[in-house]
Amino acid sequence: MGMRVDFRKRYYRKKSDRKKNIEAAFTLDAKFEVGDELVVLFGRSGSGKTTALQCISGLLEPNGGKIVVNGKVYFDCHKRIDLPVQERSLGYVFQNYALFPHMDVKKNIAYGLKGWSSEEKEKRVNKMLQLLHIEGLENNYPSQLSGGQKQRVALARALAPKPDVLLLDEPFSALDMVVRMKLREKIKQIQRELGIPVLFITHNHVEAFTIADKVVIFHDGRVQQLGTPEEVFYHPKNYHVAELVGMTNIFDAVVRAVDVPSGTVLLKSEEMLIRVKDSGLKEGETTSWGIRPENLRILQEEETGTQEKNIFNATVKSIVNKGSSKLIALEIKEHKKLLIAEVANQFFENIQLDTGNACKVAIDRSRVVVF
Amino acid sequence: MIEQIWFPLVITLKIAVLSTLVVAVVGVVISYVLARRDFKGKWLADILVTLPLVLPPTVTGYLLVVLLGRNGALGNIIYNLTGWSILFTWEAAVIAAFIVSLPLMVKTTAAAIEAVDREFEYAAFTLGRKELETALFITLPLARKGILAGIVLSFARAVGEFGATLMVAGNIPGRTNTMSLSIYSAFQGGNNELANMLVIILVVISLLSMAITAKLVNTWKV
Repeated sequence: MGMRVDFRKRYYRKKSDRKKNIEAAFTLDAKFEVGDELVVLFGRSGSGKTTALQCISGLLEPNGGKIVVNGKVYFDCHKRIDLPVQERSLGYVFQNYALFPHMDVKKNIAYGLKGWSSEEKEKRVNKMLQLLHIEGLENNYPSQLSGGQKQRVALARALAPKPDVLLLDEPFSALDMVVRMKLREKIKQIQRELGIPVLFITHNHVEAFTIADKVVIFHDGRVQQLGTPEEVFYHPKNYHVAELVGMTNIFDAVVRAVDVPSGTVLLKSEEMLIRVKDSGLKEGETTSWGIRPENLRILQEEETGTQEKNIFNATVKSIVNKGSSKLIALEIKEHKKLLIAEVANQFFENIQLDTGNACKVAIDRSRVVVF
Repeated sequence: MIEQIWFPLVITLKIAVLSTLVVAVVGVVISYVLARRDFKGKWLADILVTLPLVLPPTVTGYLLVVLLGRNGALGNIIYNLTGWSILFTWEAAVIAAFIVSLPLMVKTTAAAIEAVDREFEYAAFTLGRKELETALFITLPLARKGILAGIVLSFARAVGEFGATLMVAGNIPGRTNTMSLSIYSAFQGGNNELANMLVIILVVISLLSMAITAKLVNTWKV
């Protein structure tokens, strides 16, 4: 059934500001509609993701709007409905796990099973232990668990009462890479099995890309874009989204010419001229364009027709090793614009570049995003 | 001599244990409300509870006499209903001990409750537990070290209470002569042998209560 969310939450500098009608210091305007799928809420810290999650869970009360999950109205400002947290039937996993330190794993997992018989409880806890591969830990206390184990227990505890929706607030931010990857797979698998909406907060874009069915991009308290990972990563709607999803090369531009027959538009960013695909732009209009760092091509041999193909002479300013790839800062010779390219290590070994070297860089027009 | 020691010892423990029991229950409730709820006049409630900590015990005692005396606001009601005058009884000493030890209980416990991460409570709410259940099974157990510290301090304060007790309960031999009061009387009357014995017993009681607490806390992981 999914969920429909459309609410506002305002924060004031001082309590009295609200009565005096002074503008709120921060306003969250959360509006999105998703199905029974894995949804990543993505944005910088302070963009409103956690506030959104807390409003949906009922830990915070919105100032207005409506929240409906699986057909159940959680909050409706006009009808004065504000279901208490306890009655929302949700699983919530906190960033720091929030496992009860004075209870062992078994008691932690069973804590949400209010009103179940002890036999049913036992069965359910065992099922959860199995589902998350933490059998044998049931008598341990949280302080005796590793980070990954704690997270698994937190998930088991949240899932035990069969919630209608699962909310996860940066659940893996304190875990190492390998544990993270395993748990991401686990979350995906659980979502498929249970068929409930799962909201997952992260500010890590690799995580967002690998785990999500849908991504909701938050910036400055507003939903900027909602779409599949491919849509938001390769076709960001605006500057904020582009920056958030790791598009390191973004430039403001003015449309110099539109060539309808060839479907090409000529953009000018200060001294830089670049040809992009026609997307209905008009001459004289101001716009922005960007290209992801992995989509820049560093050329080994001379290619002809440089103007038509957006090929520029550049100097290597710096090279940063990212492990499996390298980030190369390139300064274009003619107008000193800086581009960041990301090159896989295997390819980098072939091109043999060093700081200060000259090279050519190609900006493929099919890869350029105009917004 | 044994009788001169035995009665003060029993009456002191009776007063201290009773007042500490009441302080523990009332103190935990007040502390929870002060730590976790927002309401109008909270600052005033906080000041009222803390006041006996800064007032000289004789002043607290005097105010209690005014309140509990046969013509006092509360004393009058009690007298009219039961014909019983509470002043100069051991029960009055319990009230005095309660009032002077309450701020110690509330200050320690409220700080311990405030130190409990609210995320534990939020987690309990999302697991379907109401606030009362959450307070009883999550918040208070996690604050138990602070609660115990408050109880021990309150007990010690009650055992050692002098000024307010003298004002409301007097120092009536065989009725309200607690250990602290008896030490003073023995010393005044030049009975140094008795004073020494009473002092040794009080020191032992204090050391024991501290030692037992420390042992207990050491077995708690959280």
